[in-house]
Amino acid sequence: MEQGREEEEEELEEDDGGPERALEKSPFQLTAEDVYDISSVVGRDLLQLQLSAGPPLPAALARLQFRIVRVLEMLEALVSESSLAEEQLRLERDSLRRELEELRAAGARGGTGQLSLGPDKMVIDLADPNRPRFTLQELRDVLQERNQLKAQLLVVQEELQCYKSGIISQRRDQTEELEKEATGSSSGTSRDSEEKTIIKRLFSFKHGKGASSRT
Amino acid sequence: MHLVPPVSRDRIISQFPKWYTPEACLQFKEHFHAQVRTACQWSTGTLGLKISKVVVVGDLYVGKTSLINRFCKDNFDRDYKATIGVDFEIERFEIIGVPYNLQIWDTAGQEKFKCIASAYYRGAEVIITVFDLADIRTLDHTKQWLEDALKENEPDSSFVFLVGTKKDLVSDAVCERTELDAIRFANEMQAEYWSVSAKTGENVKQFFSRVAALAFEQSVIKELENSAGHMAQIGTGNLIKLEKNVMEIPEGNTQISLGCC
Ligand SMILES: Nc1nc2c(ncn2[C@@H]2O[C@H](COP(=O)(O)OP(=O)(O)OP(=O)(O)O)[C@@H](O)[C@H]2O)c(=O)[nH]1
Ligand SMILES: [Mg+2]
Repeated sequence: MEQGREEEEEELEEDDGGPERALEKSPFQLTAEDVYDISSVVGRDLLQLQLSAGPPLPAALARLQFRIVRVLEMLEALVSESSLAEEQLRLERDSLRRELEELRAAGARGGTGQLSLGPDKMVIDLADPNRPRFTLQELRDVLQERNQLKAQLLVVQEELQCYKSGIISQRRDQTEELEKEATGSSSGTSRDSEEKTIIKRLFSFKHGKGASSRT
Repeated sequence: MHLVPPVSRDRIISQFPKWYTPEACLQFKEHFHAQVRTACQWSTGTLGLKISKVVVVGDLYVGKTSLINRFCKDNFDRDYKATIGVDFEIERFEIIGVPYNLQIWDTAGQEKFKCIASAYYRGAEVIITVFDLADIRTLDHTKQWLEDALKENEPDSSFVFLVGTKKDLVSDAVCERTELDAIRFANEMQAEYWSVSAKTGENVKQFFSRVAALAFEQSVIKELENSAGHMAQIGTGNLIKLEKNVMEIPEGNTQISLGCC
């Protein structure tokens, strides 16, 4: 196969030996190009026969010419089909080769510390930065914390919107009164007071007292 | 109680929003229950905040997050970002004059998050089961999703909705054909059916208004029943609970073992 391809490439490049060379090739290496070369050679010979016979063209020769064209067409169809199949095989072979190499590489890695695992176990590659690291409980905790923070954020955003739209006076004494009221009337859970501290912080930021004062 | 800005105009509901199809619809009434209207009139000003919990379930990639984002943030992202565990949004309404919140829990469809997300199913006044109109297999799975969500709730305590998403991806003919199946499913699930598109926004607002109105009315009726006919108590703050439990987040369910996923 390889050889056939090389020859074909050579021919395309420098066309040495002329179209006759196609007739010397192994039938299994023929390409569509070769069939066209053969056609031109045979066509030339037929033409010579015609010329030497002189007009009118003998019926037998005409029939032969017709049949030869038909045979050449058939040959062309066969050759193109087999070259397609060949190309497919080639691709398949290459991908199999790659797969095998990967398997070999994996085998080499695993070969050092073979351990047998139960059906529900898996191996974790500690060098992999994307390896699983967190337990389900940790994920649960993180989510819960995120949800609480988001709830607080929503509260703050709403209040901020109130101040922005001027529903509530921005004068500090008033807001403090409101805050006192709010803390007084709430049931005083820790979550409530957490909300208040965030709001307070936002306020002190607004009034230029520095957002970093974590009181 | 914290300060809240006024509810935006398109979240004010005064007429009972209409169903999507009469063939799979939870109720036909066009008005709020007279008793509910009266109760809400009486209580104006003295109320705290009423809130209902909505849980959204369904296969991964069907468009749960997109549906919620279209409604709550009016945006749409064509890139898929899987929800990790759960997320939530809070949407404020004013229904026949009473402030009302929907707490919408967006759960992950990915199998590996199921045991985390299912911890949030409890106490859902509304269960929304979602499927993709362009992927009929996701409709088949809605029954399982519903069953799992119902397991965590009192029998008959939640409204169920079946929602087909990505309406923009299917032709009207395909949509109609799929709706026939979906309506059959909805009836078996005792659910109300809706077809929506988060991309174009088609039916999204109507759908959530309907959810809010049904859940609101139901919770007012429940309060009325609980106060055992003592109508005089309505308006003294008995009707509406404060937002103390706004973030009722499941405690660290230690009894759920790692093996459940
Ligand atoms: N065309 C179209 N695409 C949509 C629509 N809704 C969602 N999508 C797309 O579908 C994909 C999945 O949407 P999500 O909302 O993330 O799906 P999900 O159900 O939240 O998925 P999980 O969080 O993994 O459970 C995204 O790429 C969205 O852009 C829709 O109405 N129309
Ligand atoms: Mg999601």
